[in-house]
Amino acid sequence: MEQLDIGYATPVVKSPVEILAAKVGQNWSHLAAAQERAIKERQRLRSALEDLDGADSSIVVFGSLGRDEFTPGSDVDWTLLVDGIADPAHFDTALEIRRRLKDLGHAPPGREGVFGNLAFSHNLIHQIGGEDDSNSNTTRRILLLVESQVIGRRDAHKRTLHNILHRYLSEDRGLWYGSGDFRVPRFLLNDIVRYWRAMAVDFAYKQRTRGNEGFALRNIKLRISRKLIFISGMLACFSCHLGLTPGEKNLFYGTKAVQPLVDHLQKTLGQPPLQLIARALLNYEELWQPASVLFGAYDRFIEILADESLLPNGKTPRKHLDELSFEELDGDSVFQEARELSHRFRDAVHDIFLKSETDLSRLTIEYGVF
Amino acid sequence: MRPIGFSTGAIAYADFNRALELLRGEAVTCVELSALRFREAQPLLKSIRDLDLSRYSYVSFHAPSSFDSEQERALVNELREYLPPAWPVILHPDTIHDPSLWRPFRSQVAIENMDQRKLGGRTVEELSAVFERLPDASFCFDVGHARQCDTSMTEAYRMLKAFQRRLIQVHVSEVNSSSQHDPVSYAAQISFREVSGLIPTIVPLIVESRVDSTEIGREIRRVYEALPEPVAARASALPHACQPSA
Repeated sequence: MEQLDIGYATPVVKSPVEILAAKVGQNWSHLAAAQERAIKERQRLRSALEDLDGADSSIVVFGSLGRDEFTPGSDVDWTLLVDGIADPAHFDTALEIRRRLKDLGHAPPGREGVFGNLAFSHNLIHQIGGEDDSNSNTTRRILLLVESQVIGRRDAHKRTLHNILHRYLSEDRGLWYGSGDFRVPRFLLNDIVRYWRAMAVDFAYKQRTRGNEGFALRNIKLRISRKLIFISGMLACFSCHLGLTPGEKNLFYGTKAVQPLVDHLQKTLGQPPLQLIARALLNYEELWQPASVLFGAYDRFIEILADESLLPNGKTPRKHLDELSFEELDGDSVFQEARELSHRFRDAVHDIFLKSETDLSRLTIEYGVF
Repeated sequence: MRPIGFSTGAIAYADFNRALELLRGEAVTCVELSALRFREAQPLLKSIRDLDLSRYSYVSFHAPSSFDSEQERALVNELREYLPPAWPVILHPDTIHDPSLWRPFRSQVAIENMDQRKLGGRTVEELSAVFERLPDASFCFDVGHARQCDTSMTEAYRMLKAFQRRLIQVHVSEVNSSSQHDPVSYAAQISFREVSGLIPTIVPLIVESRVDSTEIGREIRRVYEALPEPVAARASALPHACQPSA
């Protein structure tokens, strides 16, 4: 008897980062290793948490695990995303997830309470802007879009993502009726920009409230990995113009068809940020040199975070940066190297997005700056 | 006007004769003979030759929603014996044990997208795997199931785009959180309009909302409001265009 398989398989293809590396003659092995670690860790979590989700709830991971940049010292930032009828048992499920992750050796996520608990689709979908759109709510929503991955059943995650995107797009009058040359969803982009600026402001807030504790690692992350999230979100918005064929643009914008654009953005944002950026930059051969610098700096950044060898003080470079005091920064070689990396990363970003004679630069200035 | 009708199971539980009687005075030109429980299939199929269905321009048969592999073989044999070849057979993908039994029906078999209780048949990817095994099969689009699985209607859009060539019938109702078929609400109407433009006007709408006999006409009006005919020019020029929502 013939068997019917009603699941679906993901085809194995070479990733955009691998293609870009080959084009510029580089081998970003630490990015590849981090990706492999992330995939393995998500598989491990899937086994450990397999009975804890359902059609109304998805276990979602963010941060380095969601971005395919997992390193040995990485936290697991997670949330139980609920999109369905209210059920007190959801809270018990969240507690059980926390317990099982602890058994796997994962400490609870950061102190701000954004992760490690329940999140509800209603807040994420309905509270965009306004007083009720708290810092935590904005963070969850934007990170859900730009760096989330599902452990197990994806129904609730997919519904929530589609509905959020539908709101950003369908309520963006300028996108459908604007007279400009470019089609960029400003409502969505403005929220991504807002989130990027909020991260920068929160950096100063944490510096004050934590008495400079953890400054060095947070500073480097802000300059490199947080900036990367912003860039990938911005590029996803630009893809609504640059990533569509003329025929698709005529069809989508000419008929004001929201759904195909939601579908396009969902697929674009479904890629990890590094892959999304590499895919976009592959279209601009003239930018491959600064792209090589950008990815090279990021590869070295990941190498530092993943390095488990011990410094003379008995700490890994990551732990060393995390515990470095404010006063030691200027004379510390690990921090200075990471800082220099962040400058290389910044300069490459400027070369690509501000100084190049490309659509990317024009769009960045028109939509990302003013 | 889009051709419209009811599923017999929606208006008279497990009693197709009663349902046909209730529909006699209604403005419907289509009907789906429903045998959702396996025990209902044989009596219904055997009685088809005695039913007066002359008023209907479109008739389909909804196969049971659960059967074992032995029952599957018996059902296929009975369908071959009693069902007119022009009547589509609506089939849930998770009921199929042996695709080779269904393949000879070619486009007469219409695969329906599933609700969120099922672990397959809910998305383009999951349905594509089914159509790979039944390459000539048609598609019965259940707009209520699609909305239950994805309230944004993006997956519904993707299904209609991917399987438009196969589309033969549309099931309409509001599927609630318990996966029951309810009358179409105002919120569901808004959602359904998102993809209305992707449903050709000749495709029959089969209403599955559980309503009593006094509500049949009102539910038909609700369904027409939810799935208005697309603007003719747009429908012909842009077959994959979506209804504008802004």
